[in-house]
Amino acid sequence: MIGKTNQRETPVFAATISRRGFMKNGGVLLVSLALPVRFIGRAQAAENPTSMDPTLLGSWLEIRSDNTILARTGRTETGVGMTGYYAQTIAEELNVRPEAITLIMGDTDRTPDGGYSAGFLTGMSNLRKVAAYTYQALLGSASMQLGVPISALSVSDGVVSGGGKKISYGELVEGQHLELKIPVKGSLAKPDPAGWVGMTSLDGLTVTGDPPMTAPKEFKVLGTSFPAGHIPDKITGKTQWSCDLTLPGMLHARMVRPATLGSTLISAGAIDKKEFPTAEVVKRGNLLAVVSPNEWEAVQAALTVAGMTKWTEWSGLPGSENVGKAIRQYKWEKPGESRGKAASTMVALQNARKKVSATYEQGYVRHAPIGPFVAVADVKSDGNVTIWTHSAQSQGLRARMAYMLGIPVDKIVVRWMDQSGQYGRTTLGGDGAEADAVILSQLTGKPVRVQWTLDEDLAWSSVSPAWVSDMAAALDTNGHIVALHSAQYSPHMMDPRPLGALLAGMPAATSKPGNWVATEWPYDKIVNRLEDTYGMPNLAGDSANGGLRGNIMRTPGQRQQNFALEGLINEAAAAAGTDPIEYRLAHTTDERLINLLHATAKAANWEKRPSPHRGARRTSSIPVEGRGVCVMIRENAYWVGIAEIAVVPTTGAVHVTKFTIGVEPGKILNPRQLDRCMKSGVVMGLSETLKEEVTFDTKKVTSTDWNNYKILTMEETPEIKVMQLSRDDKGFGGGSEAANAIVPPAVTAAFFDATGVNARRLPLTPQYLVPLLKV
Amino acid sequence: MPDQLTLTVNGTKQTITTDPDTPLLFVLRNELKLTGPKMGCGMAQCGACAVLLDGEEIRTCVTPISDAAGKQVTTIEGLPAVWAAQKGLSATEAGKTLHPVQQAWIDEQVPQCGYCQSGMMVVAVQLLSKIPNPTVAQIKDAFTNTPPSPHLCRCGTYAAIIDAVQRAAHAMRGAGR
Repeated sequence: MIGKTNQRETPVFAATISRRGFMKNGGVLLVSLALPVRFIGRAQAAENPTSMDPTLLGSWLEIRSDNTILARTGRTETGVGMTGYYAQTIAEELNVRPEAITLIMGDTDRTPDGGYSAGFLTGMSNLRKVAAYTYQALLGSASMQLGVPISALSVSDGVVSGGGKKISYGELVEGQHLELKIPVKGSLAKPDPAGWVGMTSLDGLTVTGDPPMTAPKEFKVLGTSFPAGHIPDKITGKTQWSCDLTLPGMLHARMVRPATLGSTLISAGAIDKKEFPTAEVVKRGNLLAVVSPNEWEAVQAALTVAGMTKWTEWSGLPGSENVGKAIRQYKWEKPGESRGKAASTMVALQNARKKVSATYEQGYVRHAPIGPFVAVADVKSDGNVTIWTHSAQSQGLRARMAYMLGIPVDKIVVRWMDQSGQYGRTTLGGDGAEADAVILSQLTGKPVRVQWTLDEDLAWSSVSPAWVSDMAAALDTNGHIVALHSAQYSPHMMDPRPLGALLAGMPAATSKPGNWVATEWPYDKIVNRLEDTYGMPNLAGDSANGGLRGNIMRTPGQRQQNFALEGLINEAAAAAGTDPIEYRLAHTTDERLINLLHATAKAANWEKRPSPHRGARRTSSIPVEGRGVCVMIRENAYWVGIAEIAVVPTTGAVHVTKFTIGVEPGKILNPRQLDRCMKSGVVMGLSETLKEEVTFDTKKVTSTDWNNYKILTMEETPEIKVMQLSRDDKGFGGGSEAANAIVPPAVTAAFFDATGVNARRLPLTPQYLVPLLKV
Repeated sequence: MPDQLTLTVNGTKQTITTDPDTPLLFVLRNELKLTGPKMGCGMAQCGACAVLLDGEEIRTCVTPISDAAGKQVTTIEGLPAVWAAQKGLSATEAGKTLHPVQQAWIDEQVPQCGYCQSGMMVVAVQLLSKIPNPTVAQIKDAFTNTPPSPHLCRCGTYAAIIDAVQRAAHAMRGAGR
């Protein structure tokens, strides 16, 4: 990309800038892709220099003569404040105010890069480089127009100054149509049934090259608590959420699902037209729905039809109380992934004088947003499809719908809108109501809005699978760990097959059943370690509709594996009779972890002593108190959690009284958003630790409302103390995702501290704890 | 059979012809295009659909519209007008004003996904109308035990909500006297 490719193009690092034409009114610098990637609409935009229509994909970034800036990203606002972070990132590199930036997010026909919205780092990296290239192009342009060398220019709030002269970005582009092409690699998602997750390119496009970028210690906009742009309209009711969309002629649909996971349709119930004059039954295979222009009529008619519909019997699940046993009984072969030193670890464990070993486990849990899945689809008679969605993976969703329909991805446009949180369930682009809506729209020839109900969502959406981990550590005579082995067994969590496609018997690609080592190792002084992970297909996966479809959920893999690892470290510390923070400090030389442990311990007024507490009891009807700690490293961020709890042993009631959470993610980019995400992450982690489990009998999921799938309430929320360490010399790391995962091992350690009993299975419900304490 | 029902929504009298059993939520969202209240559980278990009916929280997903006939319904879209009326602001001033609860929700950056927050603000407005300076325990009680069910937030914004209620309480007391 470097060097002149024709007489009109000028290199800007790895990018090139050219003048595409002159404009009578206004002016613009468009930042586009250097790869010959095809988009719907892109060609028209590039050839139409007067186009400022944001519905045409002309650019990644547009600097306009009125000094406004439009940025486009395939990533979306998932609720953690991307609308703030992304504006800050662009503003930082361009030297403008973040308020000048408007974002277009997630639409396949209006954004260039695709990718998933689970974390902000990859999307941010793209926008940061886009802005950095653009900044260099603007400096070059200003240098020419002002006749001042670049080295003598400075920029503030989008105004370039030098040699006693000034020019704004808007003035620089006035009357011109400039195009900056920046280098990218990768591709947008396409169906790939043989591929890793049933499609290509989870990440979408990545900007390449190394334009000069602002160092963290020079940040002026990043590092401040700039507010998230999506919030004000949500507060006033102005935001049009995906559940709010209405289209002319649109039908409301309610799905009629089988009674059981593996059932097939015998006969569908009929509509009494006198009672429900506008309602219709629509079906394809086992996909059954009632549609009506009137939503309430659709709701009522669907209930009636559901009562009359006959399905075959099926019974193939092990029952949630047997889930650990069912995982054990699978014919396991070799690990899907292994990390560490197999030979020396096994020898050290065999020869150990003292060994600590334990099995940790958890049942199924799920994302369980407050708003069930919803989608609108419009399948036109010419085969063009538009889908309105809240998926965190618009390009991936498009690929999956194209595969389902057997049409090219170019025939489908996916438009993203705000909606209830996803917590990872749409990262792979599969789960959701979109397939239902597309199929029903195709069958009826009208736009269709599919609103899942809560019980449907809690029964049918994908789940974070149950797992079992066998852990063992060899201790030397000083109680120091010399070897550690972990082996985790789990149904896979990468099944993105859309439910609608499965029920309708249409194509749906999935991933290979597998599992991966997700921990980032905090203890470099433990020389011998071996981490094995084993993956199996979905539980009851041989049923027609896929059993419990496993999916990733917030801090996937590492959340589960870190619970087992930190549980064992806490048990080893107790076996060594050492304070659990001291014990961790003795097993690491990582200065960042050491600093954060000290700082978080201080914030929590941590008293140095081994666990259990001297007053620990397993029989009292009076509350006993305990505290526990755990650590985690994830994506260049360090985490420490300290839980303080009170347990009533006779009732098994666990009350978390205080949680201190410490983080050091390199440079903190937005302290307030991070603070909010840390506190809310603790709430989600406590919910999982204390309350959550998907229950099922042999036929079906039974935890299908909020009384049976319980999540944490405000009253149960403890005082949460946040401790943030920011530093300029370690880049920046994965912000807030992991805050949920730092909770479970700290709470179980506190339970041991209070009672002297190890609770090794989540959740810590009275039903589990009372018998455990009695043994 | 459809009935003609009259109710006042955000200060405007509305006459609706519909099956009297239709849940108020469907009327607000589909007929009156007031989409602040959200469909959550459909069984009064989460609070996403909450509005004020004559100043008291109800769950519109299970409230037939006939129960709201002749009464005052307030959604988040109507909160600025409620505050403007309380403060006796002119129409111009009112157009530029948010209810202090809404302003506190922005200032404290409460929403993450935001789906439950319409219902959460409804609780806050009701609480502050009764207890102008609530303690943390009173706030927790108002969002957990007083309503038909605990107001649930899956993103986990409870701590931010407590901060925002206290901020709004402070602003309303300051502005009030």
